[in-house]
Amino acid sequence: MSSVPVASDKITRFALASTSAPYIEKLLSGTVTTNLGVPSKAFVSDHTTSSRAGTEAIITAVEHVKACPTGCAVVAAADAPKASMWSPLEHGLGAGAAGFVVSNENLIAEVEGHSSCAYEHFGERFRPDDDDLIHDLEVRKFAQSSLIGATTEAVSTLMSEIGASPDSYRSVVIQQPDARAPAAIARKLGAGEELLASGSVVAEVGDLGAASVPVGLAAALDASKVDDRILAVSYGSGAASDAISLRVVADRKSAPSVRSEIDRKEYIDYIQYLKLKGAIR
Amino acid sequence: MAHVSIPMYWRTIPQRYKMIGQKCKNCGSVNFPPKGMCKYCGVSKDFESVNLSGKGTVHTFVLIGAGGAPPEFVEQEKAGGSYPVAIVALEEGPKIIGQIADVDPKQVSIGMRVATELRKVYNEEGVIRYGFKFVPDEEDR
Repeated sequence: MSSVPVASDKITRFALASTSAPYIEKLLSGTVTTNLGVPSKAFVSDHTTSSRAGTEAIITAVEHVKACPTGCAVVAAADAPKASMWSPLEHGLGAGAAGFVVSNENLIAEVEGHSSCAYEHFGERFRPDDDDLIHDLEVRKFAQSSLIGATTEAVSTLMSEIGASPDSYRSVVIQQPDARAPAAIARKLGAGEELLASGSVVAEVGDLGAASVPVGLAAALDASKVDDRILAVSYGSGAASDAISLRVVADRKSAPSVRSEIDRKEYIDYIQYLKLKGAIR
Repeated sequence: MAHVSIPMYWRTIPQRYKMIGQKCKNCGSVNFPPKGMCKYCGVSKDFESVNLSGKGTVHTFVLIGAGGAPPEFVEQEKAGGSYPVAIVALEEGPKIIGQIADVDPKQVSIGMRVATELRKVYNEEGVIRYGFKFVPDEEDR
């Protein structure tokens, strides 16, 4: 909040997204809003059951500002998904967070539109209510068909609604459970793989779950110039996808960049990592 | 640190989450945590709330390790090893105790500049207790 010209007491909407929330039942946003000084009358929401939750939160903020043009929404996506160290999912997991202010003032980008796709699907990544670890039954092809199906449908709905095509974008940010998934989706969308570069963070920080697209979007915004278009596409198992189209309207100068945050790092070994995660003692 | 009951902890949320202190209207000193009577002039009960910067310098510190952590911090010591606890002199005057996070314990030194961040402090009765921890000051990194 120190990098944006917004006073905490002007915030009217707060949305928090994470798949690894510390409680299944108990408001999560309240901890953050109390710390930030967001008024208690602001409407808050927690978005927690899907790696798509980050864009879900962004869309609720956009809709809030549409309905209430003087409103000011803050979105925070923070995630550190956990899997068993015996699961092939585990080595790709990471941790990260991004925050956005959505309002009609001091714009750096405007949202041109958003579309979604949701339907029933199962067997891919899931976390039962009595477990704090995510599972994957590894039915690869079946999971891949849902990933590709939901994302391409959300994007094609958006493209026809706003009259755009994937090749009109300067960067495309796609859910990054690994490096392969966004590349496969981009191919299906007919978007060149070079469009993924600026918003690709998975190689450095791993699978960020609900924060994957938000952090990627922040990285793409860092690298963009005025008039560039950015397409952000999330995916969560079960299954749903959101597609959001943005146009950059001003250079973003004040904030620390995603790249500089990623560069500020310290390497630890896998044993120490497992200890910090609480997987071994 | 001893056991702090949930209602007692809840009442101190303004200090723990937002560094709210009180400025004495008589002598101008800042009390943190808040007191019934100003601990500096000893005569005034008249205060105004102030939001402290959370910035300060390490006055002195100790490393907690080798199984020496109090019960609520045993889990943290097991996971991350020994950790520094410091008395920090805040810019506004008060000296307060807190952990220093995001730092190699060997790099902590007296006079080091620190800032506060909201962190998970410990978990008791299944309830996560959040509060401030010190971290090396961003501006010095």
